[in-house]
Formats: sequence, C-alpha cells, structure tokens
Amino acid sequence: MSARDLSGPTTGDVTPYRSGGPAQLADVLERVLDKGIVIAGDIQINLLDIELLTVRLRLLIASADKAREMGIDWWEGDPFLGRGGQRSLDERLKRLEAASGIESDDGGGDRDTGSE
Amino acid sequence: MEARTATELGWYVYGVVDAGAAAPQEGGVEGDVAVVAEGSVAALVSRVPLTVYGEEPVRARLEDPGWLEEKARAHEAVLEGALRAGPVVPFRFLTLYRDEDELRAFLAARGGELRDVLERIRGKVELGVKVFADRARLAAGLAQESDEVRELDAAIAAAAPGKAYLLRRRRDELAKEHAARVLRDCARASHGRLSAAAEAAVSNPPQPRELSGRDAQMLLNGAYLVPAGDAGFAAAVAGLEDEYRHLGVTFELTGPWPPYNFVPPGLSADEGRR
Repeated sequence: MSARDLSGPTTGDVTPYRSGGPAQLADVLERVLDKGIVIAGDIQINLLDIELLTVRLRLLIASADKAREMGIDWWEGDPFLGRGGQRSLDERLKRLEAASGIESDDGGGDRDTGSE
Repeated sequence: MEARTATELGWYVYGVVDAGAAAPQEGGVEGDVAVVAEGSVAALVSRVPLTVYGEEPVRARLEDPGWLEEKARAHEAVLEGALRAGPVVPFRFLTLYRDEDELRAFLAARGGELRDVLERIRGKVELGVKVFADRARLAAGLAQESDEVRELDAAIAAAAPGKAYLLRRRRDELAKEHAARVLRDCARASHGRLSAAAEAAVSNPPQPRELSGRDAQMLLNGAYLVPAGDAGFAAAVAGLEDEYRHLGVTFELTGPWPPYNFVPPGLSADEGRR
C-alpha cells in the first residue's frame, strides 16, 4: 500500500483512504453501535439489552466479553495475547516432552505449570 | 407505554456540530437531515416515525440485517458529510428524542461540554488500522528465523521414523510458540509506533471472523486521532508494512472516520469539565 495523501489543512478536504468502494460493514458497525456519545435521551434504546438474533451483531457485542473470559484482554492497555494462552502452550509442550522422554530445555527438572 | 399515532415523529440525532454548520447533503436514516442549533452547538437530526424507531418496534428491525446495514451506513454517511465541513461529535446509533423542546433543553444544558469536545477534535480525523496475520506465510517465514526450529528440522531429517515423529511434534509446538510470540510483539510494536505518530490512540478488541468476513487472524484493531493533512501517520503505516511483510503480516488502513473512538462515551452534567 503506498502512502496516502492527507491533503488539506482542515477536515474539509480529507482524501479518503478507501480505495473506492464502501467501507466494510464490520468497521461501520463497531463504530456506530459501540462508540460515539451515548445519551440517555427521551427515548432510550440500550442495544446491549436487546436480544439480537443476528449472529454478526451478537458476536460484535459479545466478542469483548468473550475474549476477556478467555483471558484475552490485550487491547486494554497492552497488545498481548492473554497469559492463559502462553501458559497453556508451555504446559502442552512439557507434557509432550514428558510423554516422549525428550529432555526439556530447562533441564527436565520443573514440570510445574508455566513460569508465572 | 402510551399508544402512538401513525404520524408521531421522533427526533433522531446523528451528532453535534458547530452552530453555524450547514446540514449535510447526504440523506439520513429517513430522508433529509436538518440542523437544530442552540447556543454555540447544533444537533444534526432527522424526523423519524416512532412506529419504526420506537423502543419496542425497533427491536424487530435490528434483527433484520438488511435494515440494520442500510440505517447504520446512512448514520455514518451523515457524519462523514458533516466531517467534510468541520468537527462533528458522533452520537451512537439510535439516539432519539421525543420532542424538540427536550432536544433543545439537552443542547442548552450540555452545550459547554459539547463545545469542549468539538474544540478537542477540530481539524482532526480518526484513522483505523487493522493488522492481519497470514499463518501459512508466517510458518514459512519462521523456519528461516528460528535457530531452534532449523536445528530440529536437521535432527528430524537424520532421525529414525519413531524419533522423527516425536521430534516433529516438538518442532510444531515450538514453531507455534514462536509464532505466537512474534505476533504478540508485532501487535504491541505496531500499536506503539502508530500511537506515537498520532495525537491519541485506542486499541479495540479484534473483530471476530464471522463479522469481519476475514480468514486471517486479526492482531490489532486500532483507532488513531490524527490532524487532517498529516503525512507522518501514513508513513508510519508504510514503515510497519515494510518491516513485517516477510512474516506475512498485512496492514489495512481505513478512514478518515468521524472521531467515534475519541469522544467521551457519555456526558454528565455532574462531572463538569473533563
């Protein structure tokens, strides 16, 4: 992708980054449904309370919570695959080594779960 | 809930702009967009039937993917149109007021906070950067990068079948572990570099595959606030592309967006100035 030209000193003259064509729906939905100012207006519609049959919407709204459940929360400060993910890889590797008689890198002494 | 007549209209609010701003030409969720000015700020609005947009009836509409896509895109189009003329504070989809007096009272009461937000975002745009990993290309690239993996490959080639099988499993585990580390570092470094090139930055959860329609793994879903006309940010993206291309990592730049990610999620008269 070549460098884009952001010409114009004001927001009045922005060059679109999209190479023609409409924005991807996922990009639009994650903004209009989940961002921007929420006002307790005279008529209040809380999207999180609504049972949405649409799979895509459910996934969008649930994805943050689901990811947190799985220990993935790197977007909350640090882009880092959750500690649970790394630790479980270590555990699997050590179990495989023990089962096959291969010496592990740490001298074979420590069979505990991970380093944390 | 009181019964509604077929002609009762609510006030759908897209966002807030400077009081002197003209209405965007783009059509909204239901026909034309108008401006309701109060003090130094103005709301961009459309009159919408409560038989469709009322709290109860809209639930059924939200379960219709076609309706949702059409209206969500219309909401975004109005805000993008406004953005071309000046700063716009985006409101979330489906913000409605029952009557004009309520809307004007809101603008009058919260005008100071809205003015503050407008000034913070004036002349700036939001850019999105999504980073993707192609695991097949990554696996191929890793074999060259990891001494451990290369050494195991040599051992596998020289080993008897039984031992080779076990070594191959260890090799695959190591490769996966190495890949996870590389991708983690890439996501962290990318967000760091892009944040440094922007005035503000937000890292959002990766979009689930079913929503994004992409097979590749999303490593980063970032939003960045940059001055309109800024060339440094695009250069930062290009630099990251060059650095990670050999690992099959790709960068997708979107925008300019209205600054959805850079306005406070709610306004509270009690909190005062932010």
